[in-house]
Amino acid sequence: MTKHDSDNFGESAAAHALNALSPEERAAFEKQLGDSKQARLEALEFSETAAELGLAVAPVQPSASLKANLMAQLAATPQLAPPPPATPAAGNLEPVGPPIAAETAAERRAARRWFSRPVGILIAAAAAIALFFGGTLVGQTINSNQFAEQQASALAQINAAPDAQRATTTTADGQPATLVWSGELGQSALLVEDLPALPNDEAYQLWYINGEGAVSAGTFTSPGSGTVWRVLDGTMQAGDAVGVTVEPAGGSKQPTTKPIIAIQS
Amino acid sequence: MLSLMTTDSSPDLDERAPASAAELLARVSQGDQVAFGQLYDQMAPRVLGLVKRLLIDHAQSEEVTQEIFLEIWQSASRYDPRLGGASTWIMTMTHRRAVDRIRASQAGRDRDLRIGIRDRAVEYDQVSETVEVRIENERVGRAMSRLSELQRQAVSLAYYGGYSQTEVAELLKIPLGTVKTRLRDGMIRLRDEMGVAS
Repeated sequence: MTKHDSDNFGESAAAHALNALSPEERAAFEKQLGDSKQARLEALEFSETAAELGLAVAPVQPSASLKANLMAQLAATPQLAPPPPATPAAGNLEPVGPPIAAETAAERRAARRWFSRPVGILIAAAAAIALFFGGTLVGQTINSNQFAEQQASALAQINAAPDAQRATTTTADGQPATLVWSGELGQSALLVEDLPALPNDEAYQLWYINGEGAVSAGTFTSPGSGTVWRVLDGTMQAGDAVGVTVEPAGGSKQPTTKPIIAIQS
Repeated sequence: MLSLMTTDSSPDLDERAPASAAELLARVSQGDQVAFGQLYDQMAPRVLGLVKRLLIDHAQSEEVTQEIFLEIWQSASRYDPRLGGASTWIMTMTHRRAVDRIRASQAGRDRDLRIGIRDRAVEYDQVSETVEVRIENERVGRAMSRLSELQRQAVSLAYYGGYSQTEVAELLKIPLGTVKTRLRDGMIRLRDEMGVAS
């Protein structure tokens, strides 16, 4: 880089951090950025400086509905998976601190209680993917849309509840499973990824489990891929665990097989 | 030499909150909605404050704030703590999205610039004044006060006004190269005064 180029570059770095470049100028700058570690460092410093200007602005309290709207949209908003370990942007800068632990406290709790292996990344894409509600509902095409709507609305309510919580685990075969619940509403929903499809004469059955035993919370089937989810029937009591067993289609009065999922609320 | 950049750049938030923004962001990337709620509580007034500074209109600012937080939810896994504090990441995204929104109605603004330079100049005075009055953070306010008046004008118009460097040049009726120099010198001074650089 000549002295002249370097000066131009520095000027653009400041303007870039202030978002004062045109789209063309920005593209050119970011292309140039990839070539030089020093340039990236400077760009980072300017970004940090600009962010300080942003944090210095007087805060404005948002309306309460903004948060409620947001929380209700989370379950339907898929999350990006983490990038590969060594991203080009980060690769050439030396880490100066320990990376943030990726595992959450909730996950550690769930893993400690039910399984010893760590839980993988979960993608809450519930409402965005194809749903399939089976079991007792197979063939009831007229009612199934209504059921799906009720389910979607119940899931949205749980997600929007101020006390909404979630816990994660994996099935016996390693598929990620998430329980979302609200103690206030007494409702919960289970989301499982890539749960294998069952023969026609079998269904997955949900259970609320506490010290007194298991209470059926409905049945469902899975298309075998994607995320399958179901809001549980009945009322959740504080401290209930949720279990899933494979039962004859239509469900059983009590679990007849070993749970493939057990997750503590 | 990068040690400051990995600390969360808003210690006032951290003192008040049990979990840091970076910690919460890591949990959000795992789909933790409770953490997202806490992160929202910590950062939403900051985000809305900056968006509203740029967009003025409250309803539109809330709309953009909602978009920003959905983006935070979606892309939390892309936050790299080695590349700066979590609140920096969020405020950088915030400024970018607010400016995107302003430029989405660029045609109208171009026209304003050509027809009403004089009116805009009045607006610039107000922006500049408001900026100085309402900077709450002492460290940032002090750093801003170390800039020359001309540097402060250029940086304020770009960051708090959302104007591109070309627009700033038109607004102040000075050559683009002069604006670039003022922005650069101003940002270097700010960076050094704030202790962002080594």
